[in-house]
Amino acid sequence: MAEAESTRQMIDVPEEALTPREIRLERAAVVLRWGAIVNGVLVGLLLVAGLLGGLRVFPDLFTNLQGLLLGRAVLAGDASLAVVIFLTLVDISLLLVLMVGVLAREIWTLPAIWLVAAVNGLAAALLGFLPALITIAAAAGCWVVIMRDMSAFRVNPVMLKELRGRMRGVRAFIVLTIYLGLMSAFTILLYLVFTTSTIQATGSSAVGAIGRVLFGGLVGIELLLIIFIAPAFTAGAITGERERQTYDLLRTTLLASPSFVIGKLESALGFILLLLFSAIPLQSIAFLFGGVTELELVLSFVILAVTAVTLGTVGIFFSAITPRTLSASVRSYTVALAVTFGIPIILSFPLFNAFVSAASGFGSGVSSSPLVETIFIYLGLILVSLNPVATSLVSQQLLAEKQAIGLWTVTLTSDGSTIPLVSPWISFSVFYLVIATILIVLAVREMRKVEA
Amino acid sequence: MSLIIETRDLVKRYGKFTAVNELSLEVPAGSIYGFVGPNGAGKTTTMRMLTTLTRPTAGQAWVAGHSVTEEPRAVRRAIGYMPDEFGVYDDMRVWEYLDFFAACYDIPENERKRLIDDLLELVDLTHRREDMVDKLSRGMKQRLSLARTLAHDPLVLILDEPASGLDPRARVEIRELLVELAKMGKTIFFSSHILADVAEICTHIGIVEAGEMVIQGSMDDMRAQLTPHREIIVTVRDQETAERVKSLVALMADVLDVLILEPKAGRSRVQINFAGDDDGVAAINQKLSAEGILVMGFTEETKDLESMFMRVTKGIVT
Ligand SMILES: Nc1ncnc2c1ncn2[C@@H]1O[C@H](COP(=O)(O)OP(=O)(O)OP(=O)(O)O)[C@@H](O)[C@H]1O
Ligand SMILES: [Mg+2]
Repeated sequence: MAEAESTRQMIDVPEEALTPREIRLERAAVVLRWGAIVNGVLVGLLLVAGLLGGLRVFPDLFTNLQGLLLGRAVLAGDASLAVVIFLTLVDISLLLVLMVGVLAREIWTLPAIWLVAAVNGLAAALLGFLPALITIAAAAGCWVVIMRDMSAFRVNPVMLKELRGRMRGVRAFIVLTIYLGLMSAFTILLYLVFTTSTIQATGSSAVGAIGRVLFGGLVGIELLLIIFIAPAFTAGAITGERERQTYDLLRTTLLASPSFVIGKLESALGFILLLLFSAIPLQSIAFLFGGVTELELVLSFVILAVTAVTLGTVGIFFSAITPRTLSASVRSYTVALAVTFGIPIILSFPLFNAFVSAASGFGSGVSSSPLVETIFIYLGLILVSLNPVATSLVSQQLLAEKQAIGLWTVTLTSDGSTIPLVSPWISFSVFYLVIATILIVLAVREMRKVEA
Repeated sequence: MSLIIETRDLVKRYGKFTAVNELSLEVPAGSIYGFVGPNGAGKTTTMRMLTTLTRPTAGQAWVAGHSVTEEPRAVRRAIGYMPDEFGVYDDMRVWEYLDFFAACYDIPENERKRLIDDLLELVDLTHRREDMVDKLSRGMKQRLSLARTLAHDPLVLILDEPASGLDPRARVEIRELLVELAKMGKTIFFSSHILADVAEICTHIGIVEAGEMVIQGSMDDMRAQLTPHREIIVTVRDQETAERVKSLVALMADVLDVLILEPKAGRSRVQINFAGDDDGVAAINQKLSAEGILVMGFTEETKDLESMFMRVTKGIVT
């Protein structure tokens, strides 16, 4: 027993003298990491400020902060604080993604660095979003470091290998055909069921409602598909290599662990994205019936893609820490199902109800003190943001009823004041991408360990 | 001669079990080093420590001057490793297999095509370029595996039983490949149970048993060390003649010992343990004929590696 355990024990590899290229990449990653850390400190400070401002310790705090951090936006002081916090969180996740990309030497990091800097520049110019400077500085610093060795960035070999295998022959084509066939059949079925049932009930059917049902049904099916495919594609990422006895081969090459993890993730997501994209024409049928906007299509796509990324990393993480593909799959599915189906069930109902009714403009219904009500609503937002289904429903509801795609406000029933909120899809995306990055980092750490 | 692989008192324990026990290995640059030992002797374990896959419990090891525990990446750059199990990717063509590993070694895309052509040419798999890896025969897989280890032009090849499970022809092919690679300046450190392979191509040899180095050195030293004297077998008609031979030869210079062996196929045999040179052997022959002894056979036993192996390994395999 003790022996069996000791053989499985792993220890960290020591730091070693790196090549000039590795030193450069490491340095670039450190720059980005510091960008993220500074942003994180800022978020912490702003949260404290929000508390102090909310308790009216410093009366002018919000206005001053707004003038400083979000000068150009026409928003209430507290709303702009929320926006600043949120934008900073977005920047943190972007910087973390860039950091992973740089360490894995992904070719897409090169344009992505510019993109992040440009988006931040835009936010600074349009909203006066001052913290953008932190991120721009980090991106610029990173660029200056990697500029001297652009050839370090390349197409990920692991992704290339996996995609070659996955796309070989007619198999991928057959999978795609079956998938689209099933989706079409489902659409038709949904259409038939819906029209006959509503016509029976009301004698006529609203065309817009058909569109909504079709669209919702398709997105739901796609979500289900992602929940089952994303972990399946990645849970064997590392265990599969171990089982095929290729893991040792890979570990004696110079392939860096982040490259391996990212490559596996990219190849899994590449195929899932292909499935998602190929279903877009089908979803567009819903447009024919009306009742669905392009914005909803984009929203659903973002939510599905983010779910796929995060569940993919969950699979990779368990693949790194478990010895066999089977147990890695079981664990990944458990997490995926718990997150997507478990959370809605345990979503503590009062919170959720308070939040949803607030979202639909009826006030929260929790009418004790403003503070309690605020906390309830924010907790509700957080809970909803943990779950893609709830996120989709609430985001869509907000879009339909309040025309709110990003920011919206709730009027508290207790004292009539308003509090700012973001649409759940945004907080959901930030939250899920941060989780994904953390899981990637943990998986990489696990891979770097050496058998003791 | 400089050492390209060196271990000092390398120890690997799994729980209480000691798989490798204070092993000190010295592989000179440019040599073909045969690492021989019975099953479970700790060959694979030693190689896994040298290839940075497993950490030693104690002791130190250097490959190309880099410590395997402190500079694993530098070590990886210097070695090409072929494990005893061939790692197959289903769903991959031969050239893609090499392309993938070349990419893992950071070889730029524009150089990879030529490299793959050269490697396939070297291991004689050019005609199999587009075939699926898992459909290759075992011998071909082994050659492809060898090509893979060469992708980044390493200094040392660490090959775990490259000839195991191959038919005689495939075994000869691998052997010839190894010799060719050695001519290209690579140091080859490989393990085997097949002593014939080792004897044929090795310049150096190390014999391990139960995790300990029994003996190591260059093949020539090894021969001299293990067979300190020559054995001459003289076959004569009967026992009486054998006695005469014994009494005659025993007095000659450099003769260590004379034994009368059991008669075989009706012929009597005398074994002469002789420490002299070739002239001395000729002198014995001459003396016998001068004395009018009818010699029916006069042979010098060559000690092969197999008997050497049997002699040094005591069968204490766990
Ligand atoms: N991970 C492990 N856990 C426990 N014991 C191990 C482990 N790996 C190897 N051993 C033990 O260490 C000993 C040496 O094994 P090793 O594989 O190095 O021998 P070998 O010389 O390569 O044998 P073979 O000729 O059969 O390949 C064996 O007794 C084996 O059971
Ligand atoms: Mg072995």
